[in-house]
Amino acid sequence: MEIFHNILMGFGVALSWQNLLFCLIGTIYGTLIGVLPGIGPVVGVSILIPVTFGLNATTAIITMAGVYYGAMYGGSTTSILINVPGESASVVTCLDGYALAKKGRAAPALAMAALASFFAATLAVVLLTFIAPPLANLALSFGPPEYFALAFMGLTLVTSLAGESMVKGLMSGIFGLIVSCVGVDAVSGEERFTFGFLSLLDGAGFVSVAVGLFAVSEVLCNLEESMEQVFIKVKFSLRSLFPNLQDWKDSFWPIIRSSFMAFFLGNLPGAGATIASFLAYGMEKKLSKHPEKFGTGVMEGVAAPEAANNAAAGGSMVPLLALGIPSSGTSAVLLGALLVHGLRPGPLLFQSSPEFVWGLIASMYIANIMLLILNLPLVGLWASLLRVPYKILMPLIVTISAVGVFTTDNNIFDMWVMFVFGIIGYLMRKLKFPAAPVVLALVLGPMVERTLRQSLTISHGSVFIFFTRPISAVLVVIALASLFAPLLRGVMDWRKKVVEIS
Amino acid sequence: MRRADQITGVIVLIFSLAVIEGARRMPPSGTFGPGAGFLPFWLGAALAILSIVLLVNASREPAQASDRSPFPRGGPVLAILEAVGGLAAFILLLETLGFLLSIALLTAFLLRVVEREPWLTSVIVAVANAAGLYVIFQMLLGVSLPKNFFGF
Repeated sequence: MEIFHNILMGFGVALSWQNLLFCLIGTIYGTLIGVLPGIGPVVGVSILIPVTFGLNATTAIITMAGVYYGAMYGGSTTSILINVPGESASVVTCLDGYALAKKGRAAPALAMAALASFFAATLAVVLLTFIAPPLANLALSFGPPEYFALAFMGLTLVTSLAGESMVKGLMSGIFGLIVSCVGVDAVSGEERFTFGFLSLLDGAGFVSVAVGLFAVSEVLCNLEESMEQVFIKVKFSLRSLFPNLQDWKDSFWPIIRSSFMAFFLGNLPGAGATIASFLAYGMEKKLSKHPEKFGTGVMEGVAAPEAANNAAAGGSMVPLLALGIPSSGTSAVLLGALLVHGLRPGPLLFQSSPEFVWGLIASMYIANIMLLILNLPLVGLWASLLRVPYKILMPLIVTISAVGVFTTDNNIFDMWVMFVFGIIGYLMRKLKFPAAPVVLALVLGPMVERTLRQSLTISHGSVFIFFTRPISAVLVVIALASLFAPLLRGVMDWRKKVVEIS
Repeated sequence: MRRADQITGVIVLIFSLAVIEGARRMPPSGTFGPGAGFLPFWLGAALAILSIVLLVNASREPAQASDRSPFPRGGPVLAILEAVGGLAAFILLLETLGFLLSIALLTAFLLRVVEREPWLTSVIVAVANAAGLYVIFQMLLGVSLPKNFFGF
């Protein structure tokens, strides 16, 4: 079996002492990011891009993938102990997690969260191992129209699902595409929107934009809110840590169902870990024999969403690696990181850099084991970290962001880009414009433009080229449907109103 | 959000018209196929339409007395302006003051002035932060950080 041969080679790469060390650093840092409220995986990974710039690409991406997973594990800790989600994918965990903690069952809830995460994340890597290579093979036959359709679908799905208003989501996405046009046009060599700044010839700089939009704006938003925390004290002993038999019975099937559901959901563009965790919770509540108990502290209310957010994080690696299409904010930042390191994810990656792809996949197996150890026996340590006040943390985030952005190119100008996008990001948050579509569009922008222009050149300007090829036709139709579905719903509502009035 | 959305709609509309104008000035493709201004033009057009939709949707909502600005007032505004100003000053002075000094000053400023932490905490964290970042970036990652006139 070729896959087993490949995965063995991957372990050969991942088990080098340097990769092991950085995998460990990534998972520790990721758990920290997950535990601390106010900074999530997107911020954590964007800050890390410049820091890992000097490492070789494989090690750098292994570190960042570890951060992504670590944040998914760590997020539950704050949800359970202080009723504040450590990151957005752990919001639903608060409902039953905090209720369990108030009942004095915080320790088993934390342990169940870690075990559910481990099961789900491992399952996701196994599925990834078997699904990504054939998908990449299929994608080898894609031409420019298919790639345009794929990127177009990814963009429309993400933008139409992000945030409360679809109009605002689309505006964010288009803004990101406009920002991606900044710099020298790759086809004609023409300068676009550079306003005479030499530093803008290469574009606005992905790292500066992402760090500004996520990290700086996050800090500015948090300055308005005082972070009052009610901390539930827990005694951690190995005996009290383990969930009892009833907990296992309650959580076993929810974990399995949520993991599978969330993995495939994570494959789709637009449905990230947060949506998966909400859906898993809702699904388990529907299927439960005692739905009324949800919210009062049931173990499956912690197990299902925690399994789901890890499985979805793993699932989002499939389109990222096999197609080069990120499916969420965090995977968009990961794609940006890959590009910074000169790797272009997509079907060719499996052929041109097998040691990278399989090294990364193998490292995910290892990262999960590390995370289980970090989160199960050491959970008390992380809980005590919550006592570090956010006020001390804020200046650290600002300074690391600024220095990190500076070091990508040793250029002061990049810090101004970060500064401007920090303010834009703050305004966007306040006005309820989602930030993830901007970054996604910025990453996909060059590919969207190149494939669109290539396709139109092939077809002598006719857009029907996207509808006459079967794969691109299906993708474009899905994309258009996602754009116009709310419109149809609006028409239906309006008709209902007319009927009611008459 | 009604008033806020109306204002946003107008600002984004102006922005998108500027993008369209910028795209129109880009030369057409020298060979065949779409040129440099092709995508920006259509993006600007789409953004203009969406901003009009936002404007119309917001204006159709009934005006409510409780329609408050999403932005904070009073103390938090000052804190945000101070933080933004401090960051701008940091970027301006980085190459003059050097890495260590400017990082320490920015950290102390954010803690003492923006967050009103005690002097002692501010100074200790500032020094530790500057030293820590120096070790990570300059010594471990081998980045050459900006130095001041005196060489630090």
